[in-house]
Amino acid sequence: MASTTRASSVDASLEELKGAKKPTRPVLTPTEALLYAILVFYAVFSLLPFIFAFLSSFKPEAQVLAQPPSLLPQNPTLQHFQEIFQSREFPFPNYIMNSLLYAAVSAGLNVVLGAMAGYAFGRMEFPGKSILFALTLAVLMIPSNLIMIPKFLVANSLGLVNTLGALIIPAAVTPVSVVLMTQFLKTLPRELEESAMIDGAGRFRTFWQIIFPLIRPAMITVAIFQFQGAWNDFIWPLLVMQDADKYTLTVGLTFFKGVHYTQFGLLLAGAMINVAPLVVVFFIFQRHFMKGVSTSGLAGR
Amino acid sequence: MQPALPLKRVSRLRPKKLSRLRMRETVAAFGFLAPYLIVLTVFTLIATITAFYLSFFYVNFGFTEPIWYGLKNYQIIWYDLTHNGQFLNSLINIVKYTVGVVTLQTVLSLALALLLNTKVRGRGFFRTAFYLPALTSSVAISLIFLWLYNTHGALNYVLGLVGVPAHAWLNDPNTALPAIMLLNIWTTAPTFMLVYLAALQDIPETLFEAARIDGATTWDTIRHITVPLLRPTTFVVVALGTIGASQLFDQVYVMQGPDCGPLGSTCTPALIIYNTAFKSSLMGLACAQAFVLFVVIFTLTVLQKRYIDVDIQY
Repeated sequence: MASTTRASSVDASLEELKGAKKPTRPVLTPTEALLYAILVFYAVFSLLPFIFAFLSSFKPEAQVLAQPPSLLPQNPTLQHFQEIFQSREFPFPNYIMNSLLYAAVSAGLNVVLGAMAGYAFGRMEFPGKSILFALTLAVLMIPSNLIMIPKFLVANSLGLVNTLGALIIPAAVTPVSVVLMTQFLKTLPRELEESAMIDGAGRFRTFWQIIFPLIRPAMITVAIFQFQGAWNDFIWPLLVMQDADKYTLTVGLTFFKGVHYTQFGLLLAGAMINVAPLVVVFFIFQRHFMKGVSTSGLAGR
Repeated sequence: MQPALPLKRVSRLRPKKLSRLRMRETVAAFGFLAPYLIVLTVFTLIATITAFYLSFFYVNFGFTEPIWYGLKNYQIIWYDLTHNGQFLNSLINIVKYTVGVVTLQTVLSLALALLLNTKVRGRGFFRTAFYLPALTSSVAISLIFLWLYNTHGALNYVLGLVGVPAHAWLNDPNTALPAIMLLNIWTTAPTFMLVYLAALQDIPETLFEAARIDGATTWDTIRHITVPLLRPTTFVVVALGTIGASQLFDQVYVMQGPDCGPLGSTCTPALIIYNTAFKSSLMGLACAQAFVLFVVIFTLTVLQKRYIDVDIQY
């Protein structure tokens, strides 16, 4: 925050300097004013539900649906969060742990395995390459919910149901990660590995020692994408994690809602437990993430 | 593998050595690809083939071995479709929902991208703020909107200020689906906004300069340059939007429960498929339903490709 205000005050004084020489121009033209008004309006529209829900999760139950609603809680309380973490019927610490393992382990695997596949697609020549890459792009277009049932049957016959393996293994390297990595690896200069390979290093050594350390932006993008996807995933954990202590946070929250559907203070606190960690991770890495999305065009085009 | 002698004799052309190098390269490439190809084969390709195969079987999961059923599952679906059944109802719902969501979110995401592609200050802040709804989980968003849409909730309070009477938006068959549409547009548009923003940066600046010299207004350049040049991107946005919207499950399941909402108004094919498979344990019928839905989505995507995606030459 401090640095942005400093930067803008420097900008402002620069403007002043310029303004001293040129005839003064209005601070904002009407078009610009309208543009800023729309942007601010949509920013409020995007953020307000979260801010309002966050503040309301600290309100005593009686205030949560008060009319007229107030933004700030009177007598803020942590009672909803305490109640959630002390629930015997719904072991939320387990749910958080399961979600975290699913998200973190699958994100790590996607970075390594996705980079390997992306290296082959982006920087090597081999028979069948174009067919396999076209297949990868085609799979992106398959509606994933439609193959949930057979995917469940496959996981079931492999004995994975009710284990973290059922969550992590099918998500260990996704077509999206492979496409993102391929697009990024294609942009690195050819000479990088040529010199290493002339020195007699094999493909695997070149990949690990030369290429892998250079792809940090793509790694962060893939990791955040997969972390977000797994942390937010609902239908697949709902199918494969059937014991109450094996649920992920999203599934646990849904069954929690089934019991406490009138206690909105509790539901909002639960939603915040799900939202907050992701927002923190996102704000730490958001510059890399936005860059990754814009260089890869999100899905393979 | 190859005899070494002939290799030496033709050493200036070295076709054998080259092919051996290619062989090694191919082996290495498949080594890099192995984990990906295994996961893809087991959980996507085999799963898809199994689904098609099982759609011809009676599968009472966990109780009996699959029994050959011929086209009977498809006949059951046909009967439903021709007799105003629940599956037909869900298909009608999802078509309405998809057309509404995809149209509005495509326009909104393009508008937001155009606004952010100007020289405004604080673009980074606005981009991050706009993206927040797309970051969070469908379950958390559903819980928040369950509260906002409540009869005593904030939405009704705000609408009350302009004279609209309080309404139980999610319990009324006429408003339950539109209410979910609205929240889905809000959460999906920012993702496609980023796709449009990336594409906008690829349009050469010289095109706009030329148009400006010819006296074109901003609106003219958007209509006659930007939008036509973005057609391939629009196809991606519309196709991915269609695939996403037509699978609607999480929000309905969390907000309305596993049944079909007021008078079946929020019933979706994904919900029916889930219920058929895991409540009625009829996996074969569920697979057949999934294929019917797949054909519907696939047809839509092909039509979109035909009418939206046109080759562009700069």
